[in-house]
Amino acid sequence: MSQPVTVTDLACQRGAFRLGPVAFDVAAGGRLAIVGPSGSGKTTLLRCIAGLERATSGTIRIGANVVADARTHVAPDRRGLGLVFQDGALWSHMTALQHLRFAAPKLAEADALALLARAGLESHARRKPATFSGGEAQRLGLLRALAPDPAVLLLDEPLRSVDVHQRATLVLLLRTLGDERGLTTILVTHDRDEALALATDLVVLDGGRVMERGPAVELLQRPATAFTAAFLLGAACLPTTVGPTGRIVTPFGEFDRPGGSAAALRLVLPPGSTIAAAAPAAHAGPGGRVLGCVPDAGSFRVQVAFEDQLLHSTAAAPLVVGSRASLSLRQAPWLLPWQPS
Amino acid sequence: MTSTSRALTVRWPLWLALAFLATFAALPLAVLAAQTVLGPDGFTFEAWRALLHDENLGRQAGATLQLGVAATAISLLLGGGHAWLTVGRDLPGASLLAPLGIAPLVLPPIFVAMGFSELMPASGFWPCAFLLGVAHAPFVAVLAARGLRATDGRAYESALLLRGRGRAETWLLRTIAPELLAGCLLAFLFTVADHGVPEFLTVKGKAWHTYAEGIMSRWARRAVGTTFAELQSPIVAALPFLAALGCLLWAALKLRADAPDRGVARPLPLRPLGGWRWPALLLPFAYLTAGVGVPVVVLARWALGSAQKREPMSLQYLQQSFAKAMDQCAVHLGNSVALAAATALLVLLLAVPLARRSGRSSPRLELASALPIAAPAILLGIGLVRAFHDSWLRALGNDFYSGFGFAACGYVARFLPFAALTLTGQVRRLPVAAEEAGALVARSPVVRAFRLHLQPLAPAAWTAWVMVFVLALRELDLAVILPAANATAVRRLANAVHYQHEDWSGVIALMLLSIAIVVPMLPSLIAGRRLASLS
Repeated sequence: MSQPVTVTDLACQRGAFRLGPVAFDVAAGGRLAIVGPSGSGKTTLLRCIAGLERATSGTIRIGANVVADARTHVAPDRRGLGLVFQDGALWSHMTALQHLRFAAPKLAEADALALLARAGLESHARRKPATFSGGEAQRLGLLRALAPDPAVLLLDEPLRSVDVHQRATLVLLLRTLGDERGLTTILVTHDRDEALALATDLVVLDGGRVMERGPAVELLQRPATAFTAAFLLGAACLPTTVGPTGRIVTPFGEFDRPGGSAAALRLVLPPGSTIAAAAPAAHAGPGGRVLGCVPDAGSFRVQVAFEDQLLHSTAAAPLVVGSRASLSLRQAPWLLPWQPS
Repeated sequence: MTSTSRALTVRWPLWLALAFLATFAALPLAVLAAQTVLGPDGFTFEAWRALLHDENLGRQAGATLQLGVAATAISLLLGGGHAWLTVGRDLPGASLLAPLGIAPLVLPPIFVAMGFSELMPASGFWPCAFLLGVAHAPFVAVLAARGLRATDGRAYESALLLRGRGRAETWLLRTIAPELLAGCLLAFLFTVADHGVPEFLTVKGKAWHTYAEGIMSRWARRAVGTTFAELQSPIVAALPFLAALGCLLWAALKLRADAPDRGVARPLPLRPLGGWRWPALLLPFAYLTAGVGVPVVVLARWALGSAQKREPMSLQYLQQSFAKAMDQCAVHLGNSVALAAATALLVLLLAVPLARRSGRSSPRLELASALPIAAPAILLGIGLVRAFHDSWLRALGNDFYSGFGFAACGYVARFLPFAALTLTGQVRRLPVAAEEAGALVARSPVVRAFRLHLQPLAPAAWTAWVMVFVLALRELDLAVILPAANATAVRRLANAVHYQHEDWSGVIALMLLSIAIVVPMLPSLIAGRRLASLS
């Protein structure tokens, strides 16, 4: 039976790195992705939930049970969790069947074989992991985590060591088996596509701090920080200055400061938010060198080097790679702080 | 290891292993140090001053260092050269020759010395250095081969593409330098601590003295009535020497620990020897001939009778030699095998918890468990005698000191580091994540420890057992000191050859060799499995 997970003011010190305080919750059967760049603390957070790291402070609840707080640290095997590791972390001396039987002693051999068959591993039942491909190893890692019928499934970058062709198979398997059991799923990844394929809610981490959290659709449509826009959308974020009139000065002109914001702002340009065109000889406005140009549904997607950023623009006509392009805004720009105040 | 998995680890075997190390490795040396320096008969500053001006002692120390350096250079040339030419090379028969790099380790150095002393006047500095260099070359060969096998072939190919063959080979040499250094250090430690070979050659040639010999000769004269300070002097002088060796050992271990984990993503490509392909065979052949061939042939010649009577060898003489050997030494042979097997088993039981902890969370423990290697066996033996001869056990009427149990404990203290280092290396190679995956499985800590921690160590444990069995079977220095170990075959042989009993000594030596080769191979032959890496 699936269980909700609630994390409250969780902090964890690991050498010089400090995670948190972090707070979020996942409803029973919900799917949450913790995303962020390498070193942001997402794996540490997942390990704290699994019980493999001891939190410095804060509380973790699974269902109605407190599994970690200032005085409690429930052992990992008593939390009712399954964890899929980055590279499978399989037991090299055991066969696929032995993996499942060791993880779930009450699982009958026939049931274990049936589970292996669900993942297309029935022919690998008596084989050891050394002969498995990356995708096969990860599928076995998933089955091992699911075999004891956990209430919560934790996934630590499950697609990282899997090639492009096997990713779709694994995503489908993860979603199918997870949905069948109504599992609460918490995923850690630095890959936006992986997060969107496997989760409906996101927590964005950077430097051990939560940048933003919320439904994935909302964060993609209207991020509150430039960091989230850059990380999730691949947006270019240009620095701005404040003019003598108090208006925000950008390479694309001056704009009014958004209401209530006192922090330094960035001009956030998501892909497709600028229009590129061949620059006339005397062009003095914003522009840059064309790095690439490919057709895209009646127009062209153009990559332009602008200052120290890479802009993904659209163009009505093809542009010559290496030529100069002028740039203009296609929509009202986003002016966002880099991180929450 | 995380706090959780640490909590899940059963601690008492680790405490037992540490208590054992403290009792049978640290305590004897501490007692030795205390007894020589403290008390009314303790070593005084005046005695220290006198010691510094003792020409004989200085000469012995200098000679020992020279011997160590020269023998290590020979070990590096033969052992390192063997690995360099046979691992990942197109040398004819390389796949067959490469595993034989360890073969000379099966022979006790005293056998190598016996063999060569039959062929040439083997006395003086260079013969002694050569014999010890050959006998200890397997340490360099095994560790160098391990370094070469652990090197990622893609990194070598990158160097090859960028800088050419010569520079790529230099890069490879630098890459395996930590393993080469560790092998050289082991060869050096074993050389300077060896008592049997220099003593054998001294008797044969009356020309050579080493430091270990100096310790032993004073120790052996203790009942004759020399002054206490005189008796203490070599032991006192040995203590700083021991500290220096300990520092060297620490440096070698640190060097190996700091070397990046090179993984085994792709083995080294086959490196061509070009025009040297056939001539290069000379080095492995010379190494194996000197380390195995000559001693075995000479021992066989002894057993077949031509050594003593200058008669043609005959099977009839061999039968007589065999009958004499059984009559004179069957019990000793049985003692040797039983002591070696028990030592290897005890070593494993103690090494596994040490390796689990030092491989996962306490790298300093690796140094602590390796330090007994730095103590010359003769010094450790004297320390054991000093610490336990008049112990409370004897006051209670327990004859632990004279029994095989005490001898086994001494042997275990001596050889524990080898198993601990082997198993620590294997623990480090096992992914931590796989153990963490086990921490999430609802199984008892004992089941989890057995299935997930011990089972993956099985191949390395078997290798460690084999190594310790062979080393214990050939151990001479401790056998000279510890009472029960006096009744082992190697000790008996070392005496017998001095009294013209080469005929049955040859038989016993060959039987020991056969046991050292066959016993470890039995399970491999039955199960059809290869021995795991010996480092």
